[in-house]
Amino acid sequence: METVKNLIFILMSSVLVNNYVLSRFLGICPFLGVSKKLPQAAGMGVSVIFVMFLATLATYPLQHFVLARFGLEYLQTIVFILVIAALVQFVEMLLKKYIPSLHKNLGVYLPLITTNCAVLGVTINNITDGYTFPEAVVSSLGCGLGFLLAMVLFSGVRERIENCDAPECFKGLPVTLVAASIVSLAFFGFTGLAENLFA
Amino acid sequence: MKKYLGSIVSLTVICLAVSVLLAAANGITAPVIEKAEGEKANAALLAVMPEGKDFQEIDVSAYTLPTSVTGAYSEAGGGHVLRLATTGYAAGLTIMCGVDKNGKITGAACISSGETLGYEKTYGERFAGLAAEEAALVATVAGATKTTTAYKKAVADAINAATILSGGSADIRTEEEILRDNLAAALPAGESFAKEFMAEELQGVSAVYKAENGAGYVFVLGESFIGIDAGGNVVSEADKETQAAAKAAFTSHTSTVLSEIELSAYAGISPRVEKAYRTASGNYVFELSAAGYGINGEYGASGKYIRIKVSATAGGKIIDCVTLEQHETENVGSACADPKYYEQYRGKTAETLGEVDTIAGATYTHRGYSVAVSKVFEAIEILKGAKR
Amino acid sequence: MKKETNLSVFLRGLLIENPVFVLVLGTCPTLATTASVVGALAMGLAAAAVLVCSNVAISLLRNLIPSAVRIPCYIVIIAGFVTLVQMLMHAYLPALYELLGIYLALITVNCIILGRAEMFAGKNGVLRSALDGAGMGLGFTLALLAMACVREIFGGGTFWGLEIPFISNYKIEFLTKAPGGFLVFGLLIAAVNAITKCRAIKKKDFGCETCPSAGACAAKPCPAADENLTTKVGMTEKEEKENGNG
Repeated sequence: METVKNLIFILMSSVLVNNYVLSRFLGICPFLGVSKKLPQAAGMGVSVIFVMFLATLATYPLQHFVLARFGLEYLQTIVFILVIAALVQFVEMLLKKYIPSLHKNLGVYLPLITTNCAVLGVTINNITDGYTFPEAVVSSLGCGLGFLLAMVLFSGVRERIENCDAPECFKGLPVTLVAASIVSLAFFGFTGLAENLFA
Repeated sequence: MKKYLGSIVSLTVICLAVSVLLAAANGITAPVIEKAEGEKANAALLAVMPEGKDFQEIDVSAYTLPTSVTGAYSEAGGGHVLRLATTGYAAGLTIMCGVDKNGKITGAACISSGETLGYEKTYGERFAGLAAEEAALVATVAGATKTTTAYKKAVADAINAATILSGGSADIRTEEEILRDNLAAALPAGESFAKEFMAEELQGVSAVYKAENGAGYVFVLGESFIGIDAGGNVVSEADKETQAAAKAAFTSHTSTVLSEIELSAYAGISPRVEKAYRTASGNYVFELSAAGYGINGEYGASGKYIRIKVSATAGGKIIDCVTLEQHETENVGSACADPKYYEQYRGKTAETLGEVDTIAGATYTHRGYSVAVSKVFEAIEILKGAKR
Repeated sequence: MKKETNLSVFLRGLLIENPVFVLVLGTCPTLATTASVVGALAMGLAAAAVLVCSNVAISLLRNLIPSAVRIPCYIVIIAGFVTLVQMLMHAYLPALYELLGIYLALITVNCIILGRAEMFAGKNGVLRSALDGAGMGLGFTLALLAMACVREIFGGGTFWGLEIPFISNYKIEFLTKAPGGFLVFGLLIAAVNAITKCRAIKKKDFGCETCPSAGACAAKPCPAADENLTTKVGMTEKEEKENGNG
């Protein structure tokens, strides 16, 4: 029971309280770049969840059974980023061959994800936070869901901004960032939510 | 195919080259990092045990230690360093305490606290070099009684924990368990004791407990717990004087008669005073409502009140004080329902009321409480004046 | 003539092509580490060091790396230098190492570094690549410092951890938190836009040119790109080629 509570706690805090995009600033590039339209934002979000999940499944055992066992922790960054890059390539090839319809929808986002710092961030955080394997998996799912949530919410805001009449020097990126600030402020309201979930 | 091979070979070569370079760099930096990390961890331990060497962390879950102990380290010289977190009324201090193999305190320091008073920073210095009995005699700091009391308790827990870790045994019962055991010993026939409100001044008595099963009462006089059965016979061992005092208290306490005073007959009594009673011996008992921090977060602006019962002598000295009902913020203002808070009001007069320690983080609750209690003194003057 | 060009390669990154305010690259550390001036300076210099080193290394190896696997090779080289910086900081500047936390490791995926490797170092000589790296790194550091100054002075009422008398009574604490990061970044870009008007490359939006994977997905329609941006990418690349030849 305690474990389940703990897992729910990790899930809630990674989706809402410590949202990767809006409070930890990871994965900002796709957040600002691909959030113009809802379908694209959702596509990117789903791909990120998928890759985060797979990356955690791959890197967690690698860290504990290979790197830590042979005292090679210092190769963590290189190994993780290579694993993620290879994983993304592999998934893309598989999708292309076996599920072309899905590849058509998600394929374009996959290369962008290799250098998404949220993915590398999750895999490294799972290690530094000392999570167990189930906790790491839940945290990766939570972070991915949080990313999707932020993308979808923000794409709604973006569609409104496109039509607004901002001062010349604010047009484009600056006004988008100001809007992101307000969305992030809204997520601020979740502070303390996860801690008091079972209080 | 040849093209692919070239690509794979060059990628592999680069990976290997980078790995070798990093391995070399790691060989240089790893010892430095390890040394720095070790020093950092040691610095906190050395602060409370300057002579200590080779600290090793101990798994505290393997021992039955006082609940406040959150971490422990053993030291080459047979000493221990304990990490403790205070709980209860003055929760939130993290204290490191070093105890040598003879049970003497080598040092105590507060490493984090939610307090702003500043006493907790230097208070630990007073314990350095003391044994358990001497540590118990270290004075608390006026104005920071609860913080320093919690500090003292943590230090006492540290000594107990060190004794247990060294293979000895120590009394690690919590305050409640000690109280329960004392009450049961004083009145063996009694079951589930409840604290009684003292309407009359009972000479030398600091608390009265009533057995819920009707077996009798237990009076606390100084350090002794004196049980008196329902028939008025003293059942605990004690010297004659104490027995007599307990018996007098029993008579006075059980014969208390409260007659209600019609408040509307008196002008000028604060609306904070809801009910007033006069006892047979001329003391007064009041029921008060105090403004808490409340739902709006504004002092006095809410509809939620703290209800308090206070007894006082006609001379204007508080006999007893108890919180009957409160709706304050959980874990913050709710401390006004903690006996450690409201029992501070005992013995206070209009002049000394300001000596009551505030509740950390709930100044408004404390202020509202104090203001309400202060109305008791005004009310007594008015009631006395009208009587004359 | 050539000396002047080298100088302009260096200066370009400081202002006209400032990686943060004009090219809008490396946004994650820009937002995450600028709550304090110390953190911003540490992050800026760490990234600049990695940038210079990786630019030099990649430029040296540019003829040996097969183009098919160049991106993974670049990533490995960059990750290597990042790990090196991590180790050195952990050993000799432990306080800063803890302050930067995970963002130090994430320099690996900072778009500026991979972007410069792909756009410049892979095509230019060692000296020019080093200058480009130094210029971009310094521009990145300056931009972070500008952000951090605003956020720490007005948000925390301090500078370099020292309390500023008057302002500390009126601090706007929200600026040091996450929403404040977005807000200050937006306002500063707007300010840069207003000051430079048409002289700098007017960067209105995100697109493929900021994305280091642009090379990898060139064959596919990039989801973020519209026609204008694609042509712009072509132009900058062409310009750079000309610079490289000249």
